[in-house]
Order: sequence, then structure tokens, then C-alpha cells
Amino acid sequence: MKPSPDARLLMYAQMFKSRHFEASIKAAYLEGKQPLFNMAKGPIPGEMHLSSGQEPCAVGVCAHLRADDTVTATHRPHHIAIAKGVDLKAMTAEIFGKTDGLSGGRGGHMHLFDPKVNFCCSGIVAQGMGPAVGAALAAKMRGSGSVAVSFIGEGAANQGAFHETLNLAAVWKAPVIFVIEDNAWGISVSKRASTAIPRNADRAASYGMPGVFVADNDVDAVYAAAGDAIRRARAGQGPTLLEIETWRLEGHFMGDAEGYRPKGEVEGLQWRDPITRYRQGLCDAGVESSRLEEIERRERTAVGEAFEFARRSAYPAAHSAFEAVFVE
Amino acid sequence: MDVVIAEDLWNDEGEGVIATWLFQNGEFVRQGAPLAEVMYEKAGMEIPAPASGHLTILIEPETPVRKGQVIARID
Amino acid sequence: MSATPRRLTIAKAMSEALGIAMEQDPTVLVLGEDIGALGGVFGTTQGLLERFGAERVRDTPISETAFIGAAVGLAAAGMRPVVELMFVDFFGVCMDAIYNLAAKQSYFSGGRVSCPMVLMTSVGGGYGDGGQHSQCLYSTFAHLPGLKVVLPSNAYDAKGLLLSAIADSNPVIFMFHKALQGMGWLGTVPGSIVHVPVETYTVPIGQAAIAKSGTDITLAGLGVTVHHALQAAVTLLQEGIDAEVLDLRTIAPLDRKALAASVGRTRRLIVIDDDYRSCGVSAEVIASACEGGVDWLAVPARITYPDVPVPYSPVLEHPLLPTAAAIVDTARRMFHRKAA
Repeated sequence: MKPSPDARLLMYAQMFKSRHFEASIKAAYLEGKQPLFNMAKGPIPGEMHLSSGQEPCAVGVCAHLRADDTVTATHRPHHIAIAKGVDLKAMTAEIFGKTDGLSGGRGGHMHLFDPKVNFCCSGIVAQGMGPAVGAALAAKMRGSGSVAVSFIGEGAANQGAFHETLNLAAVWKAPVIFVIEDNAWGISVSKRASTAIPRNADRAASYGMPGVFVADNDVDAVYAAAGDAIRRARAGQGPTLLEIETWRLEGHFMGDAEGYRPKGEVEGLQWRDPITRYRQGLCDAGVESSRLEEIERRERTAVGEAFEFARRSAYPAAHSAFEAVFVE
Repeated sequence: MDVVIAEDLWNDEGEGVIATWLFQNGEFVRQGAPLAEVMYEKAGMEIPAPASGHLTILIEPETPVRKGQVIARID
Repeated sequence: MSATPRRLTIAKAMSEALGIAMEQDPTVLVLGEDIGALGGVFGTTQGLLERFGAERVRDTPISETAFIGAAVGLAAAGMRPVVELMFVDFFGVCMDAIYNLAAKQSYFSGGRVSCPMVLMTSVGGGYGDGGQHSQCLYSTFAHLPGLKVVLPSNAYDAKGLLLSAIADSNPVIFMFHKALQGMGWLGTVPGSIVHVPVETYTVPIGQAAIAKSGTDITLAGLGVTVHHALQAAVTLLQEGIDAEVLDLRTIAPLDRKALAASVGRTRRLIVIDDDYRSCGVSAEVIASACEGGVDWLAVPARITYPDVPVPYSPVLEHPLLPTAAAIVDTARRMFHRKAA
């Protein structure tokens, strides 16, 4: 299923927006952390896991999703949240720890919840997979036709929850798609050094579902594979495992010296930036430069407005830390 | 004796930053003991004492430093 | 005994202890995520891969249940594994191996099969890492029979406790607090960087230490809260209150004798614990002190983190953390002086 010309422009817009968002987050994150990088300082404290380079995985999948489809994601969630349609202003405010954030500053960058578009993420590897299966079962029981998608890294494929949830999803014939963003590194440990077989898509057969591998961080190929899987799920044919070859252009977390990556690897990847490549492909297909520039302007403005909103937003009152532990 | 950031401590010509002094001004230090930690490009490096003696700190933590710079004296 | 100071961070002290143990005992090996070439995300295994090789310093997949379970089996087979659980918050995925296997191996075998395993794990927040990466969980582990749990407040104790833990034939949870670790990218409380002798030495498990002796009130702390207590003691002394700071060092088994001796003398107690309040170590310390029969001059108090998940935003998180100022206020009220 190839994307239509309109779908391609939409995907380009989302990838561009996502990358610009990450670049803006990176700049804001580094504020207050110079000259000595102290993670606790600045307007955005704590860890920061940027998704630059992995945009095709989020955008190609989410292009097929509705607001009532559920997505669970990981500690590297921004590109997926953006592609799913999470409220960008509230998300940015949350990352800045402000009262207008998605959870009033309680969750932060690894715990973004937007119930309006059924998006959530969490920080323990592979543990978002179970909830996706549950959301899928709920959809099936209600006959809503909606699906669930669980985004994970390739490191998660070695965690117990991965094996349990794949099996359970198949036993229940749940309308869920598991998407592995394979960026080849689990912090400092390579996939090759930690995974017994070269292709995680091959593991799907052990769990009674199709496994599909998508090469080379190609958003059109992701679109095609995800489209098939989501159509299968909506039609009641059960789960699929997608494994997408991608790469991260930044460290595991900001502050990561990346001494474990072979020399030249990151520079080499920058030459294969999936967004630059896609833009070139659009130009080659006849899309006017001015059209692309207009898209870029619009997305830069949207991101800029989200950041302004976040910075202007007030900090939460200290006593609000005690609220929302339970619901009434 | 000067305590210097060695020329071969890191590769490029950029600035590092002193993260922590392990001793206080005036303390006696032994040759070879780690005196301070310097961060360059997110990696931490130890600066050992080139001699034994009393330490005089010249550069405070969170201050950028260059290779070849004198950061303390030992007398 | 080396006379001139040699200051180490807790991270360096831990990797030094591991190097000594691995040199002396070929059955000691280290497993965990990123503990090989990276030397541990928190610097606990620096230099070990180069010295001892990949057979004994093993980077694992993200498979805690598997490799911690494997550590239990290695221990049963007579090896001495040291396994790293990167953040204590990750225990959810592998707790069975810890509390049902490691902790009960000796008991279920009538003492015939031991579990000489060390689980080292990072604890603590205060730097914006959010609810799943900032927890302490001291009492979660201390509560379970069959586990020893330690938490050093400084590099000297860290080296000695880790060597004791490795030598112990029982499972030891060795917690290290992120605010004390000495990583360049995270602030470190300076008091944790202390003189560490080059020689091999041990600090006994189950033995608290008097970090500062005093007569008027016992401030009992663990890990980072020991440093808050020491800071509070300076302020209190200026007001004529001579506080004794008790560094618990071992959470399980608690040194109830040292606690009894201290509160027996001072007859006032504040426990400072940055873990969740209810059912915490703070409660255990107060209950134990009371059971010892103290003629209290004031009702014992505890300063803890409250019963809420750790929020991300610093304006929400920081007011919840125990501080030296809170200790001073509580002590003043105990002496019927006006709180600031």
C-alpha cells in the first residue's frame, strides 16, 4: 500500500515537525547545564531521550491511526506523541514541568499521558506492551474497530514482557501491532552482542503471528507495512510484529558521551538522514520547493508556539504534588 | 609545582570544565593521588597530583579550562 | 595504613572494591547492563573489563529476570556473582529471583545451599528523573526475610561494605545513592568523597556508625540523609543543641544495639528517610527504639518523603525531599523552641 501524494506530504510535515521539536528540546535542555553538564539543572531537568533519526517509525505507523486507537510508547516518546496527535502545547508544557502540562508537571518527558488521543508512555523497558494488549482486548470486546500499537526498542525484545505479551496477544487474537524501533543500541550494548538471532521479526512465528521487517528507515515502506498490519487487526485477524530498521542520531540520553559507538558511525548516519532523503524524493517527484518551504514554515511556527506556551505557563503550586494520587 | 591539564588529555582544542575537586585548599596531597575530575565532551577524566605537597586551588569547579592551563599549585 | 589522604568518589570506591575481590577470588564475576565497556552507567565497574575480560565482566541483554535468576544459580553452584540492577525502580520485572529465590535459598535448603550474591542498585531522586527513576524502596527490600540490605553514605564505607557484601555467603542488596555517587553529570554531595585507604578492609554489615557524637538528640539517617543530618547538627550546635548523627549503614539487619545505645543516652530521636513514608525504614527505627524501652524526653519524629509518586517538575519534587532545614525545625520544636 503506497502512500498517496497527500499522505507523503503529511508524513513529511510530521517528520519535519518532530525533528524541529527535538532540536528545540535539545537547545532548551542544555540551558543551565553549561559549562558543567549537571542533569538536575536548567528548565528541563532529568534525563532526555531524543528521537532524532527515528521519525519514520512513528510517522509511517501513525498515519493509519485514529484518535480512538491506543498507542503506548517508551522513554523515547516525542516523535510518536507528535505523530499520534498529542496536544503539542500541553506536551511541551509538561516537559517544562508546568501547570498547563499534560499532567500538571507530575509525569515529565517519560510519562506523557494524553487520553484525548489515547496516548501514553512509560520508562521501564517493554512494560508498555501489556497495556497495549489490554486496550486491544477492550476494543475487541466493544466491537469498536479500533486497534492498539505498542512501540518498543529492539532491546525490549529480550525482556520477559515481550515474550509474554506476544503470546497472549496471539492467544486472544487481539487487534494489536507491536512495533520495534531497531536502532541497534541498548545504551552501550549493541543488538548484535545481546540478541541471539539477527532478526526480531523472525521471533513472531514463535508466537503465532506474522513478523515483518522494514529496512533502511524508509517511511514509505513503514507506511506500507503498518497499513497492512493495521488493516489485519481491524479486520479481526489478530496481532502483527513489525521490526523497523532505524537509527538514533543522538546519544541514548543527552549527556551520553557515546564512546561505545564505533568512530564515524554517527557522522555516517547523518549523511543518510531520513528526512533530508525524503525531502529530496519529494522534489524529485515534482513537489514544488515553495510547497515544502511553506510546510516547514508552518511546522516551525507550530513548534515555536508550543515552546512559547510552555515557557509562559506557570509552575504548578507545590501542594498539587499531593493531588491525583487517587481519583475520587 | 604547577598542576596542569595535560596536552594529551583530550583530542581536540575545545574546553573542558572542572567538575569536582577531591581535596580542599591547603590540604596535603600525595603524588599520584587523583586531585580533581575534569569533564570533556561528557566524559570524566582524573587529574593526578604531579608531586606531593600542599594544594593551592586556582580554578573553581564549573569553570571552563583549556589544555595546558594551570589549575592548581603544589608546594 | 596509608597516612596521607586519597579521596575517592563512591563510584571509584565501588569499582576498586570489585577489582580487589575479583583479583583475590576467581569465582567473583560481574553481570549487568552496560557494566562492561561503559564501566556502568553510574561508574560502578570502571576498568574491570580491561583487567578481567569478558568472561568475568558480562554485559547482559535487557533481561533482568534471566540474568538475576542466573546469578542465583551461579551462586548456588559456588560462584560469587555481583549483579547490577541499574535502577532500583526496575525491580518490578525481576523481583521473584530476588525475594523468592535468592532470599530463600538457604532457608529452603536447610542451610545447605547458600546464595553468595550481591545485587548492586542505584537509588534516590532529586534531579528530575520522574516517578519511575527516582525511588528509594529501602523498606521494600528490608522487609523481606533472607536479604541483607546496605546503603553507604560515603566512599570509605562503600568500599568496605561492598567487600563485606561480596565475602558474605548470603544475598546482599548493595544500594548506592545517586546524589552521593560522584558522577560528573549529576551533582554529588561533597561529604561522600572521603579518604579511602588503598588496602583491603571491610566494614561489617549490620553495624551502624556514629558520624558525629552528641548528647542531646539522635538524628538517625541513611545514605544522603546522613549528610542532611550532619548539616543540621552544625546549625543546632550554634543554638546549644548537641546532636548525635547515627549513620545506619545497614538497613537490614538494623543495628538495634547501636540505636538503643544512642537513644538511651539522648532520649530524643528524629529519623530522616528519603523513601516513602508509610511502612518505611523510619517506622521500623522508631518502633525498634521504643521496644528497647526508652524514657523519652520527646515523642520520636520522622522526616520522610510522603506517600506520593515522585513528581517530575522540580517545584513539585524538591519540597517533598527531606532537608537539613526540616531537621532543624523538627529538633527545635522538640526542645520547645519556636520553629523558624
